[in-house]
Amino acid sequence: MVGPIYIIAIALGTAFSLGFFKKANSNFSFAFMLFAMAFMTFISGQWLYAFLTQQQETIQIFTAGFKPPFSISLQMGLHESVFLSLINIIGLLAAIYLYDQLREKGVQMMMIFVLLFMGLNVVIMTRDIFNLFVFLEIASIATAGLIILDKSINATSAGFKYIIATAIISGILLIGIIAIYYFAGSLFINDIIKLNLIYVKGGAVAVFLVLIAIILELKPFPANGWALDVYEAAHPGIGAVISAASASAGIFVLAKILPIVGDPGYYIIGLIGIITFLGSNLLGLKQDKANRLLGYSSIGQIGLLLTIIGLTPYLGDKTLFIAFGVLISHALAKAGLFWLAGIINSEQIKGWAAIRRNPHLLVLMGTFIFALVGFPPFPSFFAKWELIMQLANNDKILWLALILIGSFIEGIYLFRWFGYAIKGENEDLPEFKIQWNKIIPVIVSALGLYAIGYYYSTLTGLAANLNYIPLLFIIFLYAIDFLPVYIKNTISIAGIGYYLYITFPDLEEFRLIFALIFLVGGIIILLAGYAKKGRRSGFYPLVMMMFAGLIGLIEANTTLEFFFAWEIMTIGSYFLIIRGKKSMTHALSYMLFSVGGAYLILAGFGLAHIGQSSYSLDILANVQSYAPIIFTLLAIGFMTKTASIGLHIWLPGAHAEAESDVSPMVSAILLKAGVFGLIVLMLKMGAQSFGSFDIYYALAWIGAITAVMGNMMAAFQEDAKRLLAYSSIGFLGYALFGLALMSHLGWLAAVSLSVVHFMFKTLLFLAIGGVVMRVKTKEMYKMGGLIKKMPFTFISVLMGIIVIAGVPPLTGFGGKWILYNAVLEKGWFLPAGAIFFAGIIAFLYCFRLIHAIFLGQLKDEHREVKEAPFWMLLPQYIILAVIMLFSAIPNSLLKPIGEAIMPYFSEGALEWQGNLAISNFGYWNGELIMYIVGGIFVVVFGWLWFMNRNAQEVKQFNIGYSAERPSLPETTHFAYNFFAPYKKALGFLVSPIISDFWEAVSEGIHAIADKIRRIYDGNAQTYVLHIIAFIVIFYLIAFGGSYGI
Amino acid sequence: MVKNSLIFIVLIGFAVLLADLFVGFNGNTDLNTLANHYAVSGPEEVGSANLVTAVVVTYRGLDTLGEVTILFLAAAIVSFLLKVEAGASRNRKLRSTSEILDTASKILVPVIFLFGIYVFINGHLSPGGGFQGGAIIASGLVLMLLAQPAKEVGHKLITLVESISGISFVLIGVAGVLFAAGFLDNKLLSLGKFGTIFSAGVIPVIYIFVGLKVGAELSGIITNLQENQNEA
Amino acid sequence: MENLNLEIITLITGIILVLIGIWGLLTQKNLIKIVIGFTLFNTGIHIIMVSIGYVKNRTAPIIDQSVNINDVGNSVVDPVPQALVLTAIVIGLGVTALMLTYVLKMYQKRKSLEINNYNDLKW
Repeated sequence: MVGPIYIIAIALGTAFSLGFFKKANSNFSFAFMLFAMAFMTFISGQWLYAFLTQQQETIQIFTAGFKPPFSISLQMGLHESVFLSLINIIGLLAAIYLYDQLREKGVQMMMIFVLLFMGLNVVIMTRDIFNLFVFLEIASIATAGLIILDKSINATSAGFKYIIATAIISGILLIGIIAIYYFAGSLFINDIIKLNLIYVKGGAVAVFLVLIAIILELKPFPANGWALDVYEAAHPGIGAVISAASASAGIFVLAKILPIVGDPGYYIIGLIGIITFLGSNLLGLKQDKANRLLGYSSIGQIGLLLTIIGLTPYLGDKTLFIAFGVLISHALAKAGLFWLAGIINSEQIKGWAAIRRNPHLLVLMGTFIFALVGFPPFPSFFAKWELIMQLANNDKILWLALILIGSFIEGIYLFRWFGYAIKGENEDLPEFKIQWNKIIPVIVSALGLYAIGYYYSTLTGLAANLNYIPLLFIIFLYAIDFLPVYIKNTISIAGIGYYLYITFPDLEEFRLIFALIFLVGGIIILLAGYAKKGRRSGFYPLVMMMFAGLIGLIEANTTLEFFFAWEIMTIGSYFLIIRGKKSMTHALSYMLFSVGGAYLILAGFGLAHIGQSSYSLDILANVQSYAPIIFTLLAIGFMTKTASIGLHIWLPGAHAEAESDVSPMVSAILLKAGVFGLIVLMLKMGAQSFGSFDIYYALAWIGAITAVMGNMMAAFQEDAKRLLAYSSIGFLGYALFGLALMSHLGWLAAVSLSVVHFMFKTLLFLAIGGVVMRVKTKEMYKMGGLIKKMPFTFISVLMGIIVIAGVPPLTGFGGKWILYNAVLEKGWFLPAGAIFFAGIIAFLYCFRLIHAIFLGQLKDEHREVKEAPFWMLLPQYIILAVIMLFSAIPNSLLKPIGEAIMPYFSEGALEWQGNLAISNFGYWNGELIMYIVGGIFVVVFGWLWFMNRNAQEVKQFNIGYSAERPSLPETTHFAYNFFAPYKKALGFLVSPIISDFWEAVSEGIHAIADKIRRIYDGNAQTYVLHIIAFIVIFYLIAFGGSYGI
Repeated sequence: MVKNSLIFIVLIGFAVLLADLFVGFNGNTDLNTLANHYAVSGPEEVGSANLVTAVVVTYRGLDTLGEVTILFLAAAIVSFLLKVEAGASRNRKLRSTSEILDTASKILVPVIFLFGIYVFINGHLSPGGGFQGGAIIASGLVLMLLAQPAKEVGHKLITLVESISGISFVLIGVAGVLFAAGFLDNKLLSLGKFGTIFSAGVIPVIYIFVGLKVGAELSGIITNLQENQNEA
Repeated sequence: MENLNLEIITLITGIILVLIGIWGLLTQKNLIKIVIGFTLFNTGIHIIMVSIGYVKNRTAPIIDQSVNINDVGNSVVDPVPQALVLTAIVIGLGVTALMLTYVLKMYQKRKSLEINNYNDLKW
């Protein structure tokens, strides 16, 4: 094998000989340099390969033919080779990326570039502390050189700030090193470690100086203004190098000198880390410049890494796994984003809207964003999972909470940015062109993330069972995205169908019920996709991702699998939602509630894992401590998906703005994932209370209030799809209420209502979607009289609202009947009253749907409107058929559900006599009611038909305005503000208190961020003052108490 | 004013830190093990009379290579940043020099160059070495440029010297791996008779290259700065 | 004054230089003066380094007539800090040269040496 020393020789030789080619062909010089970078990569790569596959031993390289401490020695071990390979690969890619710049700017820049990487390589390998200093200096001087690549005034002044700051930091480092030499009599790190200098008077200060200088090189908050300016001013290609390669080397150096500091150092590092992680991400919120935003995010990630290193005592042998997972995700994703920034070439993040001119770039950007936030299948996901599990196991709840808060804040600005890219206004943005040399590095790092993510999942014994088959199917759909929609639709339906077929035999109880909702429901809704023309680019991979997540939830046996699936589902649904019109803000709030909810779930799983070695979902049944807290965390987490009151603000917009066949998916199906989560949770954990306070009673109230508010808001909507969206919130409130009753009947009601909700919501969203498609508006008062134009749709809606309203004869009534029985049995009359009230409000909005859209006068502009397309109607009628079946023979639906509930709640079950259901309070015969209602219907219909001949035809426009024209003609329409009197009476209840609350929270945080970031006043002196003050403050923290570093 | 008092407070804190660091320092009375090894075995192992040179060039040769690299980097960055664009109008107002300076420089510059060469050739025997020698050579150049501000120094020559000496340094290092015990091993050449000019293995050779390289790099920096002088 | 040995005096000098250097770096508004502040800081560190390697009543670590070749270990000061300081000086030189070059470039672009004129990047 080629010895590591040749890395130095090759790099230096190349840098020195490049001087010969000053005038020569610049392509040749570039090739020469690239060859050197490739060779360095090769050397580190072959060592990595040897360490991974051939039980290679760690080797020491002595220079000058003497052993340390007399000479400088280098070390090559597994960890060194991993970091070297990572850094050199990034270097190689960065060099390719900078092809134009390096060629144009001449050989000096190439020399500087190579030498930067040589410096980083030696920094990693060296075991001599002064040698470390020298090569750190090489790296920072080379960085200072690269910063001024374009010689602009901003770059130069940023470079100046950088040099001043790093010169001060390395001065501090130098003082520390010389003092260490004084106390230790050696510069060899292994010798110094043995001496335990921190127990020597003065030695502790020396060690502290070295430690703090190395940390300062990593740009901790708030002593990092200089670094932010550099990220903003430097060429993105250089920013990538600083953020990915230099930071990785810095982290390694910190790990290398940590043994000198010993255990007390962890505390300082962890403290600085968490401050940096929270502070930097908080300030990132106010940032609207892309490169600077990346800077904040980079520093935040380094803060997270410092935190992880600081937590080593609690993470034990998992530290490396966690830290490296975070680091590699950060390095590749951040480099990728910087490189993309160089292609998009837009200073403002809003300008990134231009990126979607090339959808593949959008995919790449999404890969990086999701990798940064820690979504599956990226290494950061597994690292974050392990981190939370270990922290929980060691009872480090505060750390756990702070880390999740920091990650959440990072998610806010990253997803806002991503939202601009997907949905922002991009009409007037400048064109960009994609050069081969700029895109290759981006693609390689994205592929690297996927590959390492997969490799990482195999490292955790647990994740080996993760089901990647659906994910492969998604990749396949992405690959065939160029095909027309009907082929992809067929393939997708076939895929879901096949999956259902192979998993069906293994499913039982609730899993079976929800699998049927998710998968059969998916197939039915997908049928509507045949109505679309063209390619529907990008749609199918996303749909399948959501379904892959849903399937994963059903199949999950361990908490990890469950969480993995939950996150996959979130990604897919996020993209589906953001595909809608005007959906940027709604998708963002959906994502934030989802991420927040997911973190609560993660924390809950972590706490549940305390004291248990297994990761099976059964640990929930068996939690050792914090049971009510775990229950609350998980319940709130799941309720973000069911959109319970307070957590619902994302839903109306997201569902209303989505495409006509996406609305039913995210409404009828996706919400059930939350219900499924709640069911799993409640089954495993059973009754929970804080002291004497019953959590389920609180849940029942939440459910009841959600039902009332959801329905009331639905009644006051003008937008038909928004109305349906609010009605979903209300309906899920019933379901939550039913579950909270924790009785057979309660659950029977909740589960059957979930199934019913799936059916009528699919029906209504597809029907209304069809109407909206034809009349091109969602405002109901702009419709009217469509009964003659769209009769089939009318029937769907009519049936749908009968179900929704819960009146006989259709199946919605059954659910309500059971629910009231359950309430009577439980005796929670107060919330039950609210539920009952909500049911009445439901009539109001149901009436509007049928009345405003289909009855009354036909609008002039709708005279040519046609019935909805066949493929939209087909799924509706399939569902109608099922509804009729369930209504006529209620036990076909209720019996299987009852059997699923039986093992858990056996008391108070319904007694079935044929179609007659008997409870303790009464009985219900669905079939009989059907006949009776049918009979009444025929009578009334006949009578109306008979009376119809007395009706007098009126011309549509024989009403005048008495020579006046109202300023807003549509407000005079009878359907406008239909329930004005009710609104007057009860409107205060629906004033947007909740939205206002969340808005105020958001604004408050942003205002704080804006205030704090003023400390970065752009002056090099201020930055140096921050550095010195940082040292002094942490010196006082470290030595002030009895702690003594 | 607030800011200055803040700075003052922070500085006091820093002073306290440094005081804490050195509060136990009371001078050394003896060499530590490492230094003692260098002092006692150094002459035998390396053959250099100047122990600092032994440490700089051999024991800690990698540091020195890094050091040279830093100068190289600095020179490259300076020349990149101050590169005068070809064809750019150069309107330099230069001060005329005095007769005394002009004449003296003609006599002194060659002597200074010679002295610089002496210093780096004798780096293993007497105080001095490659860096010092190189700096002396560059100071000769400064004198020359002060006397003749309009003089154009050949960048090509500087680059050539810089590159050749740099590569040679690296090659010597690699030769140590191939033919002796390690990178930059001194025993590539025989140690010779202690205290003479042809002794101490490859140290004099390395120091000659270091001297040339440092001289060239510093000259490069100086000429670049000088060319940007008084630009309108 | 008995305790005030040579190395203590130089050490204190070094520390004071470091503090003066930082003070200058933080308070001066002229870029050149800021660079001078840095060089003072740097020089102070170098003096500290040399002080630390001093051994009482000994000579430079060069074996010549003044040093007994058989008793080198008891007649010279520590060569290591001297070697390190050499490296540190050269590094400091390179850094200073870079700072001055950047200042020169900034001055060429904006004709000002006032540091407050270069605050465009912030927040």
